[in-house]
Amino acid sequence: MRVNKRATDPFAKKIRALEPEVNIPISEQIMENKKGIAQVFANCSDLVVRELLIFGSMPAMVVYLDVLIDKQLWDDGFLEPLMQEAAPPISDPSRLEEQLKFGFSSIVQPAVVKNMTETARRIVSGETILFIEGSAQAFAFSLKDKLNRALDEPSTEAVIRGPRYGFIEKMSINLALIRHRLRTPRLKTETLSAGSLSRTDITIVYIEGIADKSVVEELKRRIAGIDMDSILESGYIEELISDHPYSPFPVMQATQRPDMTTGSLIEGKIAVITDGSPMVLILPVTFWFGFQSAEDYYMKFMFATMLRWLRYLFAFFAMALPSIFIAVTTFHQEMIPTSLTLSLAAAREVVPFPAIVEALIMETTFEALREAGIRLPRPVGQTISIVGALVIGQAAVQAGIISATIIIVVSITGISSFLIPNPGMSQAISIIRFPLMLLAATFGLYGLGIGLLVILVHLVNLRSFGVPYMSPLAPLTFNGLADTLLRAPWQALKKRHKHTRH
Amino acid sequence: MSRFIRTCRYMLLLIILCMTTGCWDRREMDDLALIMGSGIDLTDSGLVEVSYQIALPTGIPSAVKSGGSQKQVVVISAKGNDLQEALGKVQQQMSRYVYFGHREVFLIGESYARHGLNQVQDLFTRFPETRYNSYVLTAYGATAKEILSAPYPMELIPALAISKIQSSRQSFSVKFDEFLKAFSSPGTSPVTAAIRIIHKGTDKESVAIDRTAVYLGNKLSGFTEPSELDLLRWWIGDPYRLGFTIQAEPEEKDYKGTISVKSSESRVHVHTKILDDHPEAKVIFHTVVKVVSNNTRLNLDNEKNRKNVEQQFSRQLQSRIEGLLTHVQKEMRSDIFGMGEEIHIEHPYFWKKIQDSWSEIFPAMPVQVEVELQIEQLGKTHGRAYPKK
Repeated sequence: MRVNKRATDPFAKKIRALEPEVNIPISEQIMENKKGIAQVFANCSDLVVRELLIFGSMPAMVVYLDVLIDKQLWDDGFLEPLMQEAAPPISDPSRLEEQLKFGFSSIVQPAVVKNMTETARRIVSGETILFIEGSAQAFAFSLKDKLNRALDEPSTEAVIRGPRYGFIEKMSINLALIRHRLRTPRLKTETLSAGSLSRTDITIVYIEGIADKSVVEELKRRIAGIDMDSILESGYIEELISDHPYSPFPVMQATQRPDMTTGSLIEGKIAVITDGSPMVLILPVTFWFGFQSAEDYYMKFMFATMLRWLRYLFAFFAMALPSIFIAVTTFHQEMIPTSLTLSLAAAREVVPFPAIVEALIMETTFEALREAGIRLPRPVGQTISIVGALVIGQAAVQAGIISATIIIVVSITGISSFLIPNPGMSQAISIIRFPLMLLAATFGLYGLGIGLLVILVHLVNLRSFGVPYMSPLAPLTFNGLADTLLRAPWQALKKRHKHTRH
Repeated sequence: MSRFIRTCRYMLLLIILCMTTGCWDRREMDDLALIMGSGIDLTDSGLVEVSYQIALPTGIPSAVKSGGSQKQVVVISAKGNDLQEALGKVQQQMSRYVYFGHREVFLIGESYARHGLNQVQDLFTRFPETRYNSYVLTAYGATAKEILSAPYPMELIPALAISKIQSSRQSFSVKFDEFLKAFSSPGTSPVTAAIRIIHKGTDKESVAIDRTAVYLGNKLSGFTEPSELDLLRWWIGDPYRLGFTIQAEPEEKDYKGTISVKSSESRVHVHTKILDDHPEAKVIFHTVVKVVSNNTRLNLDNEKNRKNVEQQFSRQLQSRIEGLLTHVQKEMRSDIFGMGEEIHIEHPYFWKKIQDSWSEIFPAMPVQVEVELQIEQLGKTHGRAYPKK
């Protein structure tokens, strides 16, 4: 197992030291508590401390962070019942807990808080704390503002046929999207938190009895072992809990689609939802997962199978087409049909650079154009594509700087890399392209062969939470091939899905 | 972490390996002189002259620029005492590396062929860049250089035109590996297609392949006639759509009296037997044909007429084959038919005794020829296309 070096990171220690350790119990005196709170939240202008009389006569104090509170809920669900409720028959503060738990006419349920550290933690996570004079307990009410946005179609994984909902940044909504599809109590959700400053909620979702219990335990162990200041996106988790952080290949699938997540849960996989990120991690995954789209299961199986093969073919092109081109045109000219040789030679005649330099220039330019297209605001992004197509495509060829053939090769490669549905897999394949090109330029097809072999060796060595990355091809299980090489009809797939369960 | 370091270490090793190896056979396409066809001649002074037809990619029309007036090929030649010396001299004239990977045709000048091909054979079996599936042809009545310099109007590159003619199934073609195999086999003599220049000196100058060159040992011993080409294709080549015409009736005013057929399937069976330590062979030619033209009074719908025509065909073809056999076997004394190989297969022990003297035995060997021809289709119309008047 990888040794986690961050455990002894001096910076992390420093950060922790800055957090006030107010490990003192809650006082029965409101004023004492107020002082304690004021000390912890010094210079926090959004902190509200409000003193009021509840149940008609009981002095109390409410503390919350203004910006995190849902005002509507605060009024209707908290303040109104507290103020309007008739005084309880007993005036003993020690029985208040019962009163608040069972006699409180609101949808908000209180939780009992015993010390100031917890109080502070609950306040920063958006809860409202109620202190009551004469009680050594405080009550936390969750009146969090939902900070929702509308559910819309995930732009990264568009489908023609299939649901249009995508996950959003809000954990509870994301869980609801899954719960809506899987109406079983066996769907388990376990919430952990990580990040010493961000305290990000991370929920592990799986179906009991289908998911491998040991993988769930291992996942929990790894998430608990995360020692970071902040977890701002699921990408942090993906890197921190990965079996192979130095491999370019993704050993987890990040998806924004609830249907894809649900499908994976049914296959016995585990989903990791990170609060604040619309990307849900699915694990363990295999290599083939990178080439499957949710839509494969919604369309006719024949067409889906054809599409899968198209993706495999073009993934190979995306990885190796420029290198094959370089190897063949600079080392093995005899392999090209004669008339094609003449055309290629004619195109190359005026070009000043060797094929490898040409290919590197164009591939780098293409990657730059792609990156620019993603980052730029949408109206400017279109300008980039025009400049890219015109300047690079047309002008460079006419000026005789770049041969037309390399433009064709780079374009096919570019299109091919967009054919891979999983962005992580697409990035992995794009980055492998460059070393392969260098190998092809130094050793020809021999070098390319060696490069591909090294990749193959690497791939069969990879494991995603104990599952061999290349399975079911290596190790071979014929049952599994029905959903990798093919997308078999559902009648046949039913069996396979049973097979992968644990 | 240690894994990362280990990976780095291996990468470093790999990089050192890449940098320190001496061999670097990377060649850009624009550093190559693409040889499309090459030829070898013997000059009057006894020197070897090699000629190359080199494609000029700048002359190939493309979408970006139209080639038009520019030349598509250039023929370069050099003389030397032997082949390798001449090759070296060619390279001295070239700014680019002479590249044989795309040589489609190899031509042997007639005078060189008559002189003997030992050098060619040696160079081509030794030289690793030789492409064995290029066609080998012998120039008929010309030098290889003349053939390579002859224009071909229909194609951009004349050597590719020759290669295209050869690869069509209507031509007699021999590839380099087949040629070398025949060289090394004691039971077969080499044969190649023979190419000549037609319409020489006019603006219609072009090339045609209508003969074969028959070798005995490593020397050219003669050419077959154009009329014998289809018979040779039947016997040793690709018997695809052989065409025959016979005189079925005497010529008269209205009718030429000829019938032409095209074969739809053909094959040859050779049987050998040993009689008193002397080999004898019987060759049976089968073919199924369809009638493509009938310029006689005969109505082939009539079975009697058809049988009669079939018999006439068989008889006339048999005598033509016998003529070819006499030409090749008695005059040129060369076993291009691979009769020796037949004996080798059918009588291996006997072959061991005679294989060294096969070149003397073969010209005297009795060969019996039999033709079995069958008319299967009469075409779209059975009778005449015009009404009888």
